Amino acid sequence: MTDIHPSTVLRRRPDVRYRRIEGEAVVLRQSAAEVLVLNGVGADVLDLADGRRPVGEWIDVLAREYGADREVDRETVMRDVLDFAAEAAAAGLLEPVTAEDDG
Amino acid sequence: MSFGGGFLHHPDLFPGRRSGEAWGDRGVTLDVPGGPYRFSGLTAAQEEAVRRRFGGLCRPVVKEEGEGEGIATAVFRAPLADFLEIDTRGWEYALDLDHTPLSVRVAGLRLMARLDWVPGLAGGLWTSEAAGEEWTSVCENYLRLLAAYRLLAAGGVVLHSAGVTGGTEGSDGDGAAAWLLLGPSGAGKTTASRLCLAAGAEVLSDDLNAVLMDRGGPVVARLPFTGDLGSRDDGPGTYPLRGVLRLRQGPREELAPLSPAAALAALAAAAPYVNRDPFRREALLAVLERLARAVPAWELTFSLRADLWSILKTLSK
Repeated sequence: MTDIHPSTVLRRRPDVRYRRIEGEAVVLRQSAAEVLVLNGVGADVLDLADGRRPVGEWIDVLAREYGADREVDRETVMRDVLDFAAEAAAAGLLEPVTAEDDG
Repeated sequence: MSFGGGFLHHPDLFPGRRSGEAWGDRGVTLDVPGGPYRFSGLTAAQEEAVRRRFGGLCRPVVKEEGEGEGIATAVFRAPLADFLEIDTRGWEYALDLDHTPLSVRVAGLRLMARLDWVPGLAGGLWTSEAAGEEWTSVCENYLRLLAAYRLLAAGGVVLHSAGVTGGTEGSDGDGAAAWLLLGPSGAGKTTASRLCLAAGAEVLSDDLNAVLMDRGGPVVARLPFTGDLGSRDDGPGTYPLRGVLRLRQGPREELAPLSPAAALAALAAAAPYVNRDPFRREALLAVLERLARAVPAWELTFSLRADLWSILKTLSK
């Protein structure tokens, strides 16, 4: 499984398309003809995975959102986001942005 | 394997445009949802075979028809030597597709085809099959694909599903409504269809059904593409879509509502051909989201003893 840190920069893989619907996200991967349903956090992470912001910034954004609305502490958000990002990378939804990509 | 390599000796020589040597000067027009679909360049034997296969869906012969209306497909000869010999025993057939923004190339058993979107949707079909069931198989496999793309362009969708309806039965007002039972191969679509059939329902098809977005809501349109059950040559017929059920087989009956996202995912997984096309996924998701919001969806676990038809009718109350 890909090792994900707050400094890691991830982006959605080019063959991933998704659509948000009532708090969840439906994800289509062309290469695998696969259809996945993600919960709200997963959908938020896909929104944030723009290949520019490091994962740490996602955590800040989501901690503000979930902390204010649902009293979830930052540690919990960080753990959930890092776990989900690693799983999403392993599932081929996200990929790391390397220096060469920037370059 | 690169595109066409599983079916063609020389995939690099795949036709770059819709041209070639026509088989003959006959044609036939099919009234299938999304159509009419007009085939030209046929021999008399090919036309006759299509008319036998699709029966009442074929329009009568009209002399000097000219270009006519509908989605046009020109049929061309291809040498048998262009195609690989394939041992089809125990083999699961799937067309090989290559997508671009303006076209789709197709390779299959003794067929090459392309759909082009400019200036309007039109197709070309190359085959070595001169007549008989081999030819109608080529024609049907191509038409399944063409209908899927055509319906998507028209705001509808073809779904790998079993479609069941009460037809004209009953006085509860649901006689003409239809349900779609979704699931991958082996999930139980044909089994569920048989259970409904035994209870007096009508099976539209246990393989592919079309959904069109009507003003009054989604309707199921009968397609002539069936597995073991359903009519292959009846008139189109439309039925208001009452609900969608994702099937699972289990020891007892359980029914659980699907969230709109789970319903959308089940529908997307069931949309053949177009769900693999990276240039039409957004359009597909938009159509399916409308559908998922418009009709209720459930996951239905059922056993071989289930009174499925009663369950479906209960859902519509």
